[in-house]
Amino acid sequence: MLDILTAILIAGLTTGALYALATVGLSLVWGSMGMLNMAHAAMLTLGGYSAYTFSTALGLPAFVGFLGAIVVGAIAGGLLYILIVRNLLKNDKATFESNVMIATVGIGIALENTILLTYGGQPLKQPISATGSLVLGPLSLPYQNMLIVFVVIVLMAVIALLLGRTRMGRAIRATAQNREAAQLMGVAVNRVYFQVLVLSGAIAGVCGVMVSSMTQLSPPLGNDPMLKAFIMCVVAGLGNLPGAVAAAFGLALFEAFVQYVAGARWGFPTLLFVVIAVLIWRPAGLFGRVQIRRM
Amino acid sequence: MNNAAKPPLLRLANVVSGYSELKVLKGISFDIEAGDFITVVGPNGHGKSTLLKTISGLVPLTSGTISINGGPTLAKPHAIAALGIAHVPQGDMLFPEMSVLENLLMGAYLAPSKAEIDRRLDEVFTLLPKLSDRRNQVASSLSGGERRMVGIGRGLMMGGQILLIDEPSLGLAPLIIEQIYGVIAELSRSGRTILLVEENPARVADLANHLHLLDDGVIVWSGPPAELLARDELLATYLGG
Repeated sequence: MLDILTAILIAGLTTGALYALATVGLSLVWGSMGMLNMAHAAMLTLGGYSAYTFSTALGLPAFVGFLGAIVVGAIAGGLLYILIVRNLLKNDKATFESNVMIATVGIGIALENTILLTYGGQPLKQPISATGSLVLGPLSLPYQNMLIVFVVIVLMAVIALLLGRTRMGRAIRATAQNREAAQLMGVAVNRVYFQVLVLSGAIAGVCGVMVSSMTQLSPPLGNDPMLKAFIMCVVAGLGNLPGAVAAAFGLALFEAFVQYVAGARWGFPTLLFVVIAVLIWRPAGLFGRVQIRRM
Repeated sequence: MNNAAKPPLLRLANVVSGYSELKVLKGISFDIEAGDFITVVGPNGHGKSTLLKTISGLVPLTSGTISINGGPTLAKPHAIAALGIAHVPQGDMLFPEMSVLENLLMGAYLAPSKAEIDRRLDEVFTLLPKLSDRRNQVASSLSGGERRMVGIGRGLMMGGQILLIDEPSLGLAPLIIEQIYGVIAELSRSGRTILLVEENPARVADLANHLHLLDDGVIVWSGPPAELLARDELLATYLGG
């Protein structure tokens, strides 16, 4: 019984950590900018392939490859702001949310196909991974799962400190809560938007490495985590960061339990059922408030 | 130094602004000097809040100029805030999920140093001691009067040259209004430059040194508060008696 519970717990926590990572980037951007970044999946894939390129093609150490993925993700986020979002914000603000969604769908498709043309469609092995397990009596804890949970915990702590304790984090939260008031306090909201997309891109980079280390690198790598991230965001309430993390871990553990009890094929349908139930019961999400259009 | 040549702290010249095609302000001009307490009175929906929002950059200028210390007209609200315009907007516009302290610290976002932030915080807590008691309380859980106090405190934390206050009495009980105006009177006595908009001129009769009566986006009368209060025909025509 203990080994079954442990297996569910390990699977749930690892998947939950990956979901949380994917969700945080998405939720951060929505919460502070009212922007649904449909290119997030492709940015995540880009992170995974960047680490692969740095580690395999350039022969750099795994740690450098990991940092490289973060930097490439951050640059992608920055470029997304400079080339697309900034220009859309200059236009009619009332249509920004729909325009940016359509624009990022296009960017996501273009990025994914660029990766396909560059690396081919064959799955590749992510070199940044840990092999072996820590055996504690009857328990066997894979190092890879432990690494993912550790990285995610560290990253969440860094994000929490950044948002809660720094001047930049306060500006991001202020902009998310009341954009006009933040401007009156002297916050340059365009700079905040740039910072948020850079941060979100960096998180996507980490997430891409972590997800591909559990599976394999392939051009549509980011699609499944992003779909799950949307589910977590909807369940938690769009833009609610702590709620999204709680939903990610809670639903991942629930999914792992369902997969064990009813079979792997029931995991995803059950998650969708939960989303529908939450949307009926609490349309703004478990931790969300009714959204007020700011633009 | 020749004082006559010195530009006013704030100068509005033929200011026209509004929302998309709707022109709300139709040519506003006046000056504010350091230490002034200027009040703009007028009926609801005639441009009082738009005036403050135009000065702070939230509503873009259609034409005209707004000059701070003789400088050029700026468009971005954050740049205007950096020049010392502290806007306490209508409805408070607090950051609802932040604590009182965090809201106040956001006011000092552009402060040059930690020591300066601490100095301003001490000043605010001395003037508004209740905020010190409530410092860790989330802003959304405050009462209307407390929220207004945080709004004013946050404006003070900006350390600006001019405090723009938008209808501080709106939606509050008479006792709370009295407290709020007590604080504003204290600020005025300490030499702060204040531009306040208010619907009821009687509330600022003892505070303001000059009134502008705004009607349909234009200033229709200017003068000392006592004079307006003595003009029954003006009160009846523009402020409903």
